[in-house]
Amino acid sequence: MTKKLLVVRSPQGLLLIINILALLLLMTFNIEFEKNILFIAIALIFTIFLSSQVLYKISNGDTYIFLIVTMLISIGIIMIYRINPALGFKQVIWFGVGIIVFFISYFTIKYIKHWDKLLYFYLGISLALFIATLIFGTKNKGATNWIIIFGSSFQPAELIKVLFIFSLASYYVNKEKYNSWKYSRLIYIAAVYIHIGFLFIQKDLGTAMLFFLLFMSILYVYEEDRRLLLYNSAGAVVLSVAGYFLFNHVRVRIETWLNPWTDIGGKGYQITQSLFAIASGGFFGTGIGLGHPAFIPEVHNDFIFSAICEEMGVLTGIAVIFLFMIIVYRGVKIALQQQNQFFRIVALGITLMFGYQAFIILGGVTKMIPLTGITLPFVSYGGSSLVSSFAALGILQLASEEFDVEQEDEDEHRIQEDN
Amino acid sequence: MNTESKRIIRILISLCGLFIGLVIYISYFQIFTADRILSNSYNKRQWIDEENILRGEIIDRKGTILVNSIITDKGQSRNYKYGNVYSHIIGYSSREYGKSGIEASYNKELLNLSDLNPLGELKNILSDGPSLGNNVVLTLDHELQSYAYKLLGNRKGSIVIMNPKTGEIYSMVSSPSFNPSTLKENWGDIIANENSPLLNRSIMGLYAPGSIFKLITATAAIENRESDDKFNCEGSINIDGYVLKDYGGVAHGELDLNEALVKSCNVAFSQIGLEIGDDKLRNTAEKYMFNRSIPFDLRTAESTFPDNIRSKPELGASAIGQGKILVTPLNMAMVASAIGNQGEMVKPIIVREIINHNNSVLKKYKTELLSKVTSPETAEYLKSMMIEVVNEGTGKSARLDKIQAAGKTGTAENESDKEHAWFIGFAPADDPLVAVAVIIESSGKTGGAEAAPIARDLMNRAIQILNK
Repeated sequence: MTKKLLVVRSPQGLLLIINILALLLLMTFNIEFEKNILFIAIALIFTIFLSSQVLYKISNGDTYIFLIVTMLISIGIIMIYRINPALGFKQVIWFGVGIIVFFISYFTIKYIKHWDKLLYFYLGISLALFIATLIFGTKNKGATNWIIIFGSSFQPAELIKVLFIFSLASYYVNKEKYNSWKYSRLIYIAAVYIHIGFLFIQKDLGTAMLFFLLFMSILYVYEEDRRLLLYNSAGAVVLSVAGYFLFNHVRVRIETWLNPWTDIGGKGYQITQSLFAIASGGFFGTGIGLGHPAFIPEVHNDFIFSAICEEMGVLTGIAVIFLFMIIVYRGVKIALQQQNQFFRIVALGITLMFGYQAFIILGGVTKMIPLTGITLPFVSYGGSSLVSSFAALGILQLASEEFDVEQEDEDEHRIQEDN
Repeated sequence: MNTESKRIIRILISLCGLFIGLVIYISYFQIFTADRILSNSYNKRQWIDEENILRGEIIDRKGTILVNSIITDKGQSRNYKYGNVYSHIIGYSSREYGKSGIEASYNKELLNLSDLNPLGELKNILSDGPSLGNNVVLTLDHELQSYAYKLLGNRKGSIVIMNPKTGEIYSMVSSPSFNPSTLKENWGDIIANENSPLLNRSIMGLYAPGSIFKLITATAAIENRESDDKFNCEGSINIDGYVLKDYGGVAHGELDLNEALVKSCNVAFSQIGLEIGDDKLRNTAEKYMFNRSIPFDLRTAESTFPDNIRSKPELGASAIGQGKILVTPLNMAMVASAIGNQGEMVKPIIVREIINHNNSVLKKYKTELLSKVTSPETAEYLKSMMIEVVNEGTGKSARLDKIQAAGKTGTAENESDKEHAWFIGFAPADDPLVAVAVIIESSGKTGGAEAAPIARDLMNRAIQILNK
């Protein structure tokens, strides 16, 4: 094991070196030596190393996605700790929780069968969570999408994302059964828009956009009635235009995207501060601890990418983008190789969720597209986001494995029926 | 491959396209947009150093504090003690409008910032409390500067007073001016004002020189004329159909170079121009730093002598300082200085030294030779003519009581219908202490009537102050 650890050329080795270097730097960053940072360094490196070893023992699936994710996590924790040591410490704890959830989700999904038969259950839970958010929700950053349970805040939409993907997959796996009733397609689309509608009411535009993109992608691949694609696209355009004129918060997003410089002190403040950060980093960055990313409000959360660009350089930023691209590539490969249709759709959904979510926030903080608050998966600070991303990753890991014969048989049977 | 897989791959390709688009977008932003937005006043990074460092003082040559910073409950406040008097030299340091003048060019020294390096940054992080910036000591004399500012008053124009041998600027005034302390309140008016109060006319103003340029033509004549033939002035001269007149149409009759300069005879000097040609004239002008950028602590405009003069009328006009020739007041003060300093033009300096808060000198600025304009003999000859200008020529109003001054007047036609009034000179003539350049913009009066008396008072006062 130690020998393996020291092999620099292996991805784990590289990751280890990066972590040790960055964490050593962080130790010297604060004048008073803190015990926390030593704990963080050891806990982080140990968790990454141990969990990847365990994973390769138990799973014969994909070996890259988990590594890439730990790389993203490392960059995120280093940056969060540098911005706010207390939050960095918490994030390491959340990372530990995330790893546990990753394995729980992996085993739960693996050993409980018939996930494709629970459509009503998924929809029911989602609805309950949405209503709970509506009633108990607290306002945070202009969006009412948090509920507080046992003193810790929790974002139900993070869980609903996974449930939503499961619902889409269950519907398409059993479409013959559901489509036997004339109006089932309408009900299905209504259910999707109820999701998006709730998110809109919560003013969580980023997640609403994510749900819509996910839905449209799955619709594009699996829907036989191709007219639905057209109707939904047209509907989306009409709704966005209506949203622009009807809702002030939508208008503000668009206006600050088109020209944030007219109101730098007010509505355009966040995005312009983000642009200043990226601009002042240059391609190589100011160096960790030498920039001023804390000028951006919510920098540890939605704007973590701007902080990375400022202190680690735009080249590191580009590297982060490419890491997400590799996740998407591996995820799509997993989907293509999966024989079980339910897990095929789920794998595609989860992959696209990571991809779209990353693009929505990366494009937002760089002013390429309008800014909508959403976390950068695995990098931003936040328990709900990290835990739900790890749960999804566990499912993706499982989907990368070959399934037992029984399921394959069932699947082949279904494919024949399809034809 | 089945339809499902094809569609999935299409989605993969579009998503990868989005990511690659993002990479291109960020690279483009970094290469083309980043520099432009960084100077935005809302970018607090520019100011973070300044909040932690007490900005240094700006001091005159005798130790009078002209600008300092004081700590208030709201942070630092910059205190411009003499407002308009130094508006163009010291400039301003404002979050809203950026920096200008010495505040801009000596920003690093005032903040005691070395070039950005990680080690220095680390030191800043480790050290507590605001550190102290360095102080900038100017070559200006506060008493003389205030006097010159008052003397110019509401007139549009500029005054430059300097030491002809060391290049130290004693006083530099540009009018109209602005008050850097009330910049925020008056910014709209300052910007809207058609007289451009923000413009430092002394170094950025480009004016037709008129007859003061004859000193340069005279230099070229002494160096290049083969004969000592006299000129004949009938009050006007017709060059290829273009009639060039003397002031008031006065005929000066037969005169030599000396008489021509003393009387500021346009006819004679345009004849010189035609005789020696534009190349030689340009060559001499360029030795006087025309078409050259003057190295200075503040940004200066270049005086211009046109690259090619195509027609004889233009050559004749150029020789008397009209046509397309444009000069800055600082450059003309340097012309006077060079003649007073035996043909050697020195680099003008406005910052004498940088000192730290303990008054120990960190950097001292020394006199440097900028251009060897002409031989000491020629300079001596020019000086003698300039003495005569003041004693019995057009510059009589610049005569001092006990000290011999030397100078040249100019009355320059320009786009406005009123002439600029010029005077450049130095005193005492035999061993000059000060050189001056005075211009009153669109005065409508002659240099002898309007600028020379101002120059007289300035030279008088300057010598008094310097001999104290």
